[in-house]
Amino acid sequence: MSVIGAFCVSVNREACINARMPGKCATCAEVCPHGVYSLNPVTGEMHIQNYNACVGCRICAEFCPSNAIRINPAEPEYISRYPWTLAAVEEIHYKAQSGEYLLRGFGTHGQTPNFDMITVVPSQIASDAPLDKYREECEMQVVIGQDTCEKPIILKLPFVWPAMSFGALSKEAKMALAIGAAMTGTAANTGEGGLLPEETWLSRGYTDGTFRHKEWEPGGYLVIQWSTGRWGVSADYVNSGDAVEVKVGQGAKPGMGGHLLGSKVTEDVARVRGIPVGSDALSPCRYYDVQSLEDMKHMVAFLRDVTNYQYPIFFKLGPSRPYADVAACIEAGADAISIDGLVGGTGCSPDLVTQGVGIPTIACLPPAVQALKDYGVHRKVKLIALGGIRNGLDAYKALAMGADAVGFGSAAEVALGCRVCYACHKGNCPYGITSHKPELRARLDPVEGGERLANFLNATAEEIKILTMLSGHRRIADLTTEDLRAMDMNTAALTGLKLAGFERPLPMWEPYLGKPPESSPLSGNGKNLKDREKAGLSS
Amino acid sequence: MNSIDAKNKDLQAINRQIRDNLNDHPVKVVNADHLHGLAAAIKHGEVIIDSNTGDYLGVLNDGATIKVSKNVGNYLGDNMTTGTILVEGNGGFGVAQYCYGGTVVVLGNAGDFTATMNKGAVIIIAGDVGDEAGTYMLDGDLIVLGNAGKNFANYLIRGDVYIRGEWENLGHNTRIVEMDNRDIEKLNSYFDTYGIEADPQKFKKIVAASKKPFYK
Repeated sequence: MSVIGAFCVSVNREACINARMPGKCATCAEVCPHGVYSLNPVTGEMHIQNYNACVGCRICAEFCPSNAIRINPAEPEYISRYPWTLAAVEEIHYKAQSGEYLLRGFGTHGQTPNFDMITVVPSQIASDAPLDKYREECEMQVVIGQDTCEKPIILKLPFVWPAMSFGALSKEAKMALAIGAAMTGTAANTGEGGLLPEETWLSRGYTDGTFRHKEWEPGGYLVIQWSTGRWGVSADYVNSGDAVEVKVGQGAKPGMGGHLLGSKVTEDVARVRGIPVGSDALSPCRYYDVQSLEDMKHMVAFLRDVTNYQYPIFFKLGPSRPYADVAACIEAGADAISIDGLVGGTGCSPDLVTQGVGIPTIACLPPAVQALKDYGVHRKVKLIALGGIRNGLDAYKALAMGADAVGFGSAAEVALGCRVCYACHKGNCPYGITSHKPELRARLDPVEGGERLANFLNATAEEIKILTMLSGHRRIADLTTEDLRAMDMNTAALTGLKLAGFERPLPMWEPYLGKPPESSPLSGNGKNLKDREKAGLSS
Repeated sequence: MNSIDAKNKDLQAINRQIRDNLNDHPVKVVNADHLHGLAAAIKHGEVIIDSNTGDYLGVLNDGATIKVSKNVGNYLGDNMTTGTILVEGNGGFGVAQYCYGGTVVVLGNAGDFTATMNKGAVIIIAGDVGDEAGTYMLDGDLIVLGNAGKNFANYLIRGDVYIRGEWENLGHNTRIVEMDNRDIEKLNSYFDTYGIEADPQKFKKIVAASKKPFYK
């Protein structure tokens, strides 16, 4: 249950079929993920039983056969009652009645620092001239593991699908992501829920496990996730893809492991994960088999050995202490590091963790990039920005702040049809994206979904190309923070970007630009391994 | 029997030699104290290690039999799926974590967090286990002939835990049940197979109190 209390639900009773003929229609009650509507089983009448549970997804309005429902924001109430908003009141009532804390799917809502208050600086006469998007080329390829493994990944576009498990997502959604990756030369990711066999061939562009007919060019890659829950993991699993990603954390619930509630652990999910049907699959918050950074190095060493030194090793971080965490990943031997920001998505998480824990993506990137530079590996060890990236504009800004690629998790779900109802954990997704119910899954065609995802990535790539070239660059790897300006003090303070108009970073940043923060492994006594262990991965 | 001296050699070299030499005869490795991840992800054959070993011995083991004459480091048999690992000495922290199947037998003691998140393996510790052994087991058997430390079988979800000795305290979501004939037969079979002298009648059995202890 997610309590919002910021939306007005209106039903036109003249148009409503149920109002005119009780018992004839209860579509709104059937599709609402949050119990806003209820059907009286005796009279057949539909009522709005809890206005405040509405999250504004408008699924009911979309499914209403008579177009009788309107959902409108009620922001004035949200402002006038603050801090005792209806959301806060309802949340307290819920806990008082149930004794349970709230869970939520999808991700953070409300205002957090984001890319919107950063603007792109175009080229004019004083800098390199802009390039012509319509007549000139722009290099967007990203190579991961070029010098460290036998089979590096060559992303045709600077995008990945971040880890989203089978279990959190339906089989059809996982297949669509794999097809989308194949159609764009990018990478899908198993997530931590084990391997769907279909992912192995679809992500490479093949129609079946014989690998004879390649339907989707140019073909993509599959990243195999190695996580704290180790669901469905075996030697064969680790060797099924093109890279291994060591999950340390994620943006929606840093410091916690994955949550898959028993209601979504169907026979298929249980088989893939190797666990009993109906059991809650709660991943540990840390690796039980890692107690120090030295252990993590050994883990990377044996993963390289088990995969015969062929594939790159990725790390995935939640938003905590970006400088020290990225430094630790470099020490451990990462070829690529994904850092997920505060608004990163999830299939299920305690509400307060998703809403209130972690560092915004825009504030993760500067220290992460600084760590890569201090180790001399920026643009060699690839940085992948995750967490609330919605379009080419967000992506461009992340790239200019120093990332090599970006991931679209929540945006991918939206591209598949998601209306953001925050109820992924309940397993009743009307679009078949996060449900395992056959009748709901049937609504999502994997091939059509894959095409939508590929369309989204291709359009986004064009957007990045426009911005890159109007900034005077031929390669996304040439983007720098000079291509950006912060448009308010907060954003300038969080990022160290030059403030528009002032044309310099805020004075508070000047002593630190190019220097590691005090808590970093490089500060104090210099490159001290034990300091890094303290700062990094020891539990 | 092929013999490999691991002294001054790295993991890549030794694991490659082991895999290249696996055939109908066992492969023997000596001086392997410094190697972490030795004999990883092997699918068949027998590896005999005649020395102490480092951490992550037999990680992702997928069918091999691995025998160790002395002590092993931490995380023995991590994430094993099938196969057998026999250790004559002691195991360190986290023996047989994340295993889906196979058998791990340690004739000495084992450290904290032994058998954590076991999902189907048979794990037999002839000596004592440390704290938090059997944490969040989802399937399989953990059998301890000695004593256990704190939070024994904490948040057990599925699977069976047997112990002959005492524990400092039992973990959450546990309950003690009577041993039945199937338990006795199962333990007898394990003990016969691995040459362990013990009377199954003297064991206590612990199972999960609830299959869903976290979310209703």
